[in-house]
Amino acid sequence: MRFSRRQFLKLAGAGAMCLTLGSFGVNVDEAFAYSKKLKIEGAKEVVSICPFCSVCCQIIAYVQDGKLVATEGDPDFPVNEGALCAKGAALTSMYTDDHRLTKPLYRAPYSDKWEEKSWDWTLDQIARRVKDARDKNFILKNDKGQTVNRLENFFMMGTSHASNEECAVIHQAMRGLGVVHMDHQARV
Amino acid sequence: MPKAFLIDTTRCTACRGCQLGCKEWNGLPPNKTKQQGSHQNPPDLNPFNYKIVRFHEHLDAEGNVVWNFFPDQCRHCVTPVCVDVADMVVPGALIKDSATGAVLVTEKSSQLTAEDAEAIRNACPYDIPRYDPVAKKLTKCDMCIDRVRAGLLPVCVKTCPTGTMAFDDRDAIVALAQQRLAVAKERFPKAHLVDMQEVNVIFLLAEEKEYYHERAAFM
Repeated sequence: MRFSRRQFLKLAGAGAMCLTLGSFGVNVDEAFAYSKKLKIEGAKEVVSICPFCSVCCQIIAYVQDGKLVATEGDPDFPVNEGALCAKGAALTSMYTDDHRLTKPLYRAPYSDKWEEKSWDWTLDQIARRVKDARDKNFILKNDKGQTVNRLENFFMMGTSHASNEECAVIHQAMRGLGVVHMDHQARV
Repeated sequence: MPKAFLIDTTRCTACRGCQLGCKEWNGLPPNKTKQQGSHQNPPDLNPFNYKIVRFHEHLDAEGNVVWNFFPDQCRHCVTPVCVDVADMVVPGALIKDSATGAVLVTEKSSQLTAEDAEAIRNACPYDIPRYDPVAKKLTKCDMCIDRVRAGLLPVCVKTCPTGTMAFDDRDAIVALAQQRLAVAKERFPKAHLVDMQEVNVIFLLAEEKEYYHERAAFM
């Protein structure tokens, strides 16, 4: 059913009449007792950073009794001034969602399922495999017999969330291994 | 002084920050959706989406594709028809908050039947309220009344990264709307403000409402 302007006005008129009746004894106070508690009232504010893109919008996380209740943009941060895009606006769900990974998962070669592993095991495995792969493939000299000391089968993909200082450390670590292929998320 | 929104669609990039911000603040669950041939998702307002960015594309006179975005929500009408219709069956199911101008769904709305809710939806000039048949309640934007009463911006306005949305006392918003209209007119000669006298959520459109959404404007 679509309303024409005339019907709209007629209805509005009927509404005005109802209001008048209201003032003749029908108690309307109760109707105005609409209350909705502010869920972040008294919550601790924790500053964090949106993990998605290189803009690195700052967010305020509202924590009540050790639980995250809401997130929103930090108005004091000059980059986003309180604003967020759809991804940044959905951080509460990202944190509370059932699909969120909270433990490292490992899928063995040729296996068809993921197993939960501890961080200690996972980090040891990564270190072990990086070391083994590096030792196996490290190139000391090129075809002409010149010393090159490089590793060609590793690739470093940087994140736009890394600061200059973090980039320097990552870069030195990669150069230390002999890695020559390095690129950045924001370029691809 | 009632509050008002300005939604300057000429600035909207359809990032949907407002849509997600609304969902998160109100703790609304996701919808199961599928590709409908449009980036608009979900396809319409529903009990779990009080706000939705509508997408509309068409060819202009030169054959260029024009893509318009319309962040749809309750207009918090100055004289809300939904309140009057609801009052005929369950007085106080919907109310107009005099301090903020917000149109609110109260707990009494649980006494409304699905048919009542349908009548209220049909009476809405902008087709906004939706009935949740499981929770048996009427749902729509409440202007983030909890935030506004605490002196905060509604979450959609707070989230908007492009300056499309503004929220303030109605006088200030009306003045801002005129300013933005003057700016928009330079690029879009047909730019206009939608139903400004009737609503507290004032949309600035670059062209006719048909190029946004069928129920974008009433007048």
